Amino acid sequence: MCDWCMKHGAGGKWYMNAKNYSNELAEAINAQEYLKEQWKAFEMVYIRRIMGITSIDLGYKLQLPIIGRILRWSAERMIHSEGKHRNPVRADGHFGQVIPLEEAKIILGNLAAEPIIENYCMCRWMQRGIKEACCINFGLLSGVIEKLSRFIPKDTKYRLDRDEAIAHIEEHNKKGYVATVWFQPVPYINAICSCENPECGGLRLRNDFGLHTVYKGEYVAEVDPDRCQACGMCVTKCQFGVLRLVQSLKRVIVDINKCFGCGVCRHACKYDAIKLVPRENYPALRGVY
Amino acid sequence: MFPKKSPKVTIDYTKCGEKGQMDPRDCAKCLRVCDPAIFILHESPNMPIDPVDPKYWRITPVWLSLCNMCMKCVKVCPLGAITVSR
Repeated sequence: MCDWCMKHGAGGKWYMNAKNYSNELAEAINAQEYLKEQWKAFEMVYIRRIMGITSIDLGYKLQLPIIGRILRWSAERMIHSEGKHRNPVRADGHFGQVIPLEEAKIILGNLAAEPIIENYCMCRWMQRGIKEACCINFGLLSGVIEKLSRFIPKDTKYRLDRDEAIAHIEEHNKKGYVATVWFQPVPYINAICSCENPECGGLRLRNDFGLHTVYKGEYVAEVDPDRCQACGMCVTKCQFGVLRLVQSLKRVIVDINKCFGCGVCRHACKYDAIKLVPRENYPALRGVY
Repeated sequence: MFPKKSPKVTIDYTKCGEKGQMDPRDCAKCLRVCDPAIFILHESPNMPIDPVDPKYWRITPVWLSLCNMCMKCVKVCPLGAITVSR
């Protein structure tokens, strides 16, 4: 379990704690105001000056001696901020974790606060100019996004009941999108996204710049060497380049140090050879998120 | 000691953007042709922002360190608004 489970998990995983989904919590941290400000012009998050610095050419800035280190430290502090005066326009306290489909279903079926909506993905819109309805938001955030017409799908039903939401997340996951659950702002949980690398703003910062906007999941993939038929279908699904087909071994190997434990590879396997095992099973991976 | 400088990617906002001939939302070809997805589509910061439905948009190359200078965006831009240089 990560630090956030210790702080907000009530003895379990942070996203399995029903309290983190409650309207009472949202009210206590004044999430309504925060979300309104944050979503009003979310596309500007990388363009705005934050303490005089924009995210433009962040890769270069982070590699600078001394300045880069200070920048990384303050960015991490911002991303994980639990302070009273969080700034919504720079998304303070907004980060998430990768979850397998099973856990996403439990969240949408039992924990998520109504109303549940499915709106256009913000990240695909700003990084590719594509409108694809695959972000499932709930609780107070639904009401905030509903007022922003550019994120609301036209001609289709965007308000979902629990069964529909579960069916949709399953469809996205099988397509190859990675399910992620988000604090917005910590500890209030109100979104399950279906992310793609590199379009996702969170995965972009994590994979390309090493900032902890998205944590790896509680699981890692494991291939059963007896069942694997070396067809390589799972390799095509992995968003993180973790799986590799080794012809000499006639099976697929997993780079568990890089594995995010999303479980998307399982859907491509016809032989039921991949399963998710808890990260804790590997001593070297314990506490590494 | 200092890291390698990133490529310079510039967009001529007199051609594309709030004052240009085309709304970048309708084109967005550069966003899609770029494998590392270094561009970001966003509201124009210089114009009054309509919080519900912003009318003025522009594209900014943001993740410059990931640019491989493949020049696909330069070729695909119908207005010839993009330049890539060292």
